[in-house]
Amino acid sequence: MGPYLFLLPATLFLAAFLLYPVCTMLLYSFEEVNIGTLLTGDIPFVGLDNYHTILTDPVFRSALGVSLEFTVGSLIFQFGIGFLLALLFSRPLPLVGVMRGSIMIAWMLPIVVSGTIFKWMFQSDAGIINYGLQSIGVIHSPIDWLSDPKIALWAVIVANVWIGIPFNMALLLAGLQGISASLYEAATVDGANAFNRFLRITLPLMRSTSLTVLMLGFIYTLNVFDLIFVMTGGGPVNATQVMPMYAYQVAFQQFDLGSGSAVAVLIFLVLLAASALYLFLIRQEEAS
Amino acid sequence: MTTIQKPWHTALLTALAVFGTLVMIFPLYWVLVSSLKGTVELFRTPPTLFPLHLDWTPYITNFVQNQDILHYMGNSLQIALGTMVLSLVLAAPIAYGLARLPVRGKNVFLLAFLIVQMFPSIMLALPLFVMFTRIGLVNSLLAVVLAVTTRTLPFAVLILRPFFLGLPRELEDAAAIDGCGAWGTFYRIILPLTRPGLVTVAAFTFLMGWSDFLFPLTLISDDSKRPLTLGLYKFISEYGSRWNDLMAVAVVAALPIILVFMFAQRYITAGLVAGAVKE
Repeated sequence: MGPYLFLLPATLFLAAFLLYPVCTMLLYSFEEVNIGTLLTGDIPFVGLDNYHTILTDPVFRSALGVSLEFTVGSLIFQFGIGFLLALLFSRPLPLVGVMRGSIMIAWMLPIVVSGTIFKWMFQSDAGIINYGLQSIGVIHSPIDWLSDPKIALWAVIVANVWIGIPFNMALLLAGLQGISASLYEAATVDGANAFNRFLRITLPLMRSTSLTVLMLGFIYTLNVFDLIFVMTGGGPVNATQVMPMYAYQVAFQQFDLGSGSAVAVLIFLVLLAASALYLFLIRQEEAS
Repeated sequence: MTTIQKPWHTALLTALAVFGTLVMIFPLYWVLVSSLKGTVELFRTPPTLFPLHLDWTPYITNFVQNQDILHYMGNSLQIALGTMVLSLVLAAPIAYGLARLPVRGKNVFLLAFLIVQMFPSIMLALPLFVMFTRIGLVNSLLAVVLAVTTRTLPFAVLILRPFFLGLPRELEDAAAIDGCGAWGTFYRIILPLTRPGLVTVAAFTFLMGWSDFLFPLTLISDDSKRPLTLGLYKFISEYGSRWNDLMAVAVVAALPIILVFMFAQRYITAGLVAGAVKE
């Protein structure tokens, strides 16, 4: 019994404040839960009605699409740029530690703060981004970054990429530093140039780290809420409405907690499917 | 990589690295500069890269004249410290147990902690709101601390466990011979030896508590209980185009993060990598 006492406090805590709530939420997704039914305590079971309501709501379909676009767009750029920076910072350059450290700050900042900063930088009249792009001649008139439905999602992606780069960089850097230097030395002796060394040694050996980083990025990005809430509030006309924001709106603004729960369950199912794919890929990677 | 580099090669790579770093830290610079500009200069074209004239009014208005923000900061500090203490107290024993004690089902626990980290916060905010409303805990800082700790605790356990795994087995044997009980050994011998791990977890959980937005948003409606993250959001709509005021609040909201980070940077980066990759 003795050793199990060490596990007890955390287990009890998580059972009460994590497991129990998640189970009730699962139940809510099959019930009609709103202020009225919560007050009377008479909560009717409605089967799959909530899921039916959600899946036939055009706003949900749009949110699903926006979420995937947001996630894939963010992942491509934050992983790509993070990888390039990791390659740079794995070299013995002067002041490399200071530079790495200052980049990490972007990731630690409260997301509400980052969102506010980007909202200011993306302003169409006095924003520094429009000014910068105009002065180097990329654009000729100011862009309405946050109020143009065709562009707003990209503005939010840029901000999210900025937040995600340090995370990707740090994990990929750890992976790069785990590759034995003797491999590169042997390849150099055999006459391989830098490009070939990258192609034949770095890339294959970074495959499992990359998978892990992408998987963590996927989970993290699909759950992004604060950034979009602050920058656009989901607008203009739902152009940046992602699934967690939609769940929030249904649950806390329309006060339909049953349907909100159904959305949360659907988000979780997407994440579960992604992790299954990840486990499958990492198994294959380890087998080869 | 220890391949020998040519000097021009190093210079080129350094230039690239410096450029990348500058682009990445520019937003941080820009928020600080914007917070120190007067309204006229703020909207000037072309924008000034450094304020022509430092204007401290945004800080005076927001932190001396309007005391609301100090109140929000106090709430944030309580949430952050509460999350930190609760996470450490709960995570350390279980991480130790899962690392070194003869318990069954270790893998089940570790897998559960990994899966739990995947839960979207909104998935917890929703039932916690109902639950805390029922037991009358809604609209309290304690509710937010409990909610944030459901996110920080699994993470804290996964980060701490490798630190316990790394200790020599003889420690517990020697303590047992000296008549130390399991909890005595844990408290007096093991914990002091894992201080770097505890510092990592303390820094992380403090930051997560300070930065959280969704739980206060859903669990707090009373203005006097708002943390700074919610306050900043409220100001976005209230301040309209007073961006210098907003930036001053943003700077102050970011300050503790930057301080904690400068102090514990090495621990935090190591912890991030350990938590993500080693399991």
